[in-house]
Amino acid sequence: MTEIRWHSRAGQGAVSGAKGLGDVVATTGKEVQAFALYGSAKRGAALRAYNRIDDEQIFNHAKFMNPDYVLVIDPALAYTDNIVENEADHTQYIITTHLSKEELIEGIPSLKGKEDRVYTVDCVQISLDTIGRSVPNAPMLGAFVKISGMFELDYFLENMRRVLSKFPQKIIDGNMAAITRAYNEVK
Amino acid sequence: MAEKYDLQEREVWDGNFAASQALRQAQVDVVAAYPITPSTPIVENYGSYVANGYIDGEFVMVESEHAAMSGCVGASAAGGRVSTATSSQGFALMTEVLYQASGMRLPIVLNVVNRALASPLNVRGDHADMYLGRDSGWIQLDAFNAQEAYDLALCAFRIGEHHDVRLPVMVHQDGFITSHTAQNVYPLPDEVAYNFVGDFKPVDDMLDFSRPVTYGAQTEEDWHFEHKARQHKALMDSRPIIDGVFADFEKVSGRKYNRVESYDMEDAEVAIVALGTTVETARVAAKELRAEEGIKAGVVAIRCFRPFPFDMVRDSLENVKSVAVLDRSSPGGAMGAFFNEVSAALYTTPNRPLVTNFIYGLGGRDFSISEAKRIFKEQKAHADAGHITTDIQQFSGLRGPHLGFFQTKRG
Amino acid sequence: MQDLNLLANDNRGQTDLGNSSSLVGWDEVTQGTILQSFEGDATGIAQKKAEERSYSNFNSYTATVASWRVKKPVFNIDVCIDCQNCWVWCPDSSILSRDKQMLGIDYDHCKGCEVCVEVCPTNPKSLLMFSEYTPLDEALSQWPEKKKKEEK
Repeated sequence: MTEIRWHSRAGQGAVSGAKGLGDVVATTGKEVQAFALYGSAKRGAALRAYNRIDDEQIFNHAKFMNPDYVLVIDPALAYTDNIVENEADHTQYIITTHLSKEELIEGIPSLKGKEDRVYTVDCVQISLDTIGRSVPNAPMLGAFVKISGMFELDYFLENMRRVLSKFPQKIIDGNMAAITRAYNEVK
Repeated sequence: MAEKYDLQEREVWDGNFAASQALRQAQVDVVAAYPITPSTPIVENYGSYVANGYIDGEFVMVESEHAAMSGCVGASAAGGRVSTATSSQGFALMTEVLYQASGMRLPIVLNVVNRALASPLNVRGDHADMYLGRDSGWIQLDAFNAQEAYDLALCAFRIGEHHDVRLPVMVHQDGFITSHTAQNVYPLPDEVAYNFVGDFKPVDDMLDFSRPVTYGAQTEEDWHFEHKARQHKALMDSRPIIDGVFADFEKVSGRKYNRVESYDMEDAEVAIVALGTTVETARVAAKELRAEEGIKAGVVAIRCFRPFPFDMVRDSLENVKSVAVLDRSSPGGAMGAFFNEVSAALYTTPNRPLVTNFIYGLGGRDFSISEAKRIFKEQKAHADAGHITTDIQQFSGLRGPHLGFFQTKRG
Repeated sequence: MQDLNLLANDNRGQTDLGNSSSLVGWDEVTQGTILQSFEGDATGIAQKKAEERSYSNFNSYTATVASWRVKKPVFNIDVCIDCQNCWVWCPDSSILSRDKQMLGIDYDHCKGCEVCVEVCPTNPKSLLMFSEYTPLDEALSQWPEKKKKEEK
């Protein structure tokens, strides 16, 4: 079982990101779960989304998890939200930031000593450049594909194209570019 | 003819989307709805299917949930296949008309996305609304995940519309935990789903001008009791028909449903009895406890909450030593209603297992595998002691000092 | 003088409303308390006259409330101007009228409320209340004269 926790603000697309990831993962024959905790949350409010991925049907419906991956798609939440909550000793962090990894960890004491499990990528800037507005979910998927090694990039892009098929071509192209760039830039 | 919907063999749907797809495949004629979180997408999607030509139906916008169910009553009495969805406060406002629908024997399918009742205001899942409907004369089916929300909605039309049943059916799913959780769902092809549900064959439809009928007659003490007795009998008699529909559904889907589901119960010593998503989480806990500590744990789940499967509950639990019944609704000054019903069934068994009651998960409070394990272990302690060693009713997952009530006299 | 079974078919008012002899057990009551208005195929029933319709036993047409009355309205065709006021106001649809011609009273369904008399505009009134046991011919023979304006 692979468990993923997204830290996001309402409107940044963590829920769509989690569902899009689930959609692609399901095409590989795996069982997925994608859910989020929100409700009355207004745009900008902190929220968390979750994925579970397994070979068998997933019966656990608890929100509680010891995540294998923590994906932070808002730069400020890395500081203000408890992103290490219920972490395991192998939990890997992918955090969107314009800072270097060293600068980032310097400001977040809970990440100290976990340098080899922390990855950074500037999802906000990438989405501004490729999609034209701040929707950091797509670049985060590209970074996740790279770090997890779960898919070949081309396979993932091909399936995301299908997931996004109801959108205009320009949006699809922007998302493909965003995923590809983040895949190459995450470090 | 309706437009063809592009459907994959394997979809990733949340419970709301899954339920709305069942409404599309059943080609529901009328949905009268007043949307409310977390059930909104069900009726919203139906509206878009109508607008985009996937359904030849009618979406009726109304001014309240009371009006929504009233519209459904009217459309169903007129002779259409009718469905809607609601949650929580909306369900509460519908309650008066729920009794009208069942009393008039109208086979409306209501998708209830379970959510807590205010006050305090809360949009997350618990079973307060589900319990509010338990005396309303509706058949109540309970889905534990998105796949089941889809499957049971299809079954609901078949059950309710069966001419020997003619009763409205609720299909419950847990707010957010099911309704907003996307997971693998394996839908039936449109033709298979529609053929399973079948054409709607109306009874006593008001638009049959060759046979005008009166709906909503007044009966006082000279008639009312007989009519309610007949209605209760119809609910009780629906049990074998529900079994038959589940059997037919297995033939087309490969997925088997039972009015009471039992997991790891063959040799179980301790059991959790639950509703909704908790069932599946508890199943994981039972499996792990068996492997980790050798505790013979099992789970019994109520698929069909009404008519209550008194005899099947008894059969599935009579050889267990200690049972925890989990109520996800504020009991309002009593033992949990579900606890009372399971206890009553177990009271008529020779061994009379120990039964305790947990109030948990109110307002969407998380229910984890570790909490399920703790509850199993407590049951094991009761079983070993031969009597209940804790308060009979306890709160699970609550902050603050221990809260519990009543002790056993059997120890 | 009015025929007491004016425009009636065989089963109009055949049972007393609330007559307990028609009570049946739970296994015989109708599903959903849904009551069929007519026997057999009722296609085109709206175009049929009341006395031609096959009203079912569930239809209030077949029940009578005549015994509820203390006083009854009597209709005097010689004074009536067919204004249909009584037909409009009668709460029990007990004014029998055909082609806008007032014909008389449905005594099976009239409860004696006197509304028809109240709204009748003629002078003297074309509908007046008499005790239930006064024969119709005797009632008509007692009809008052036209009142002069100054006597009002």
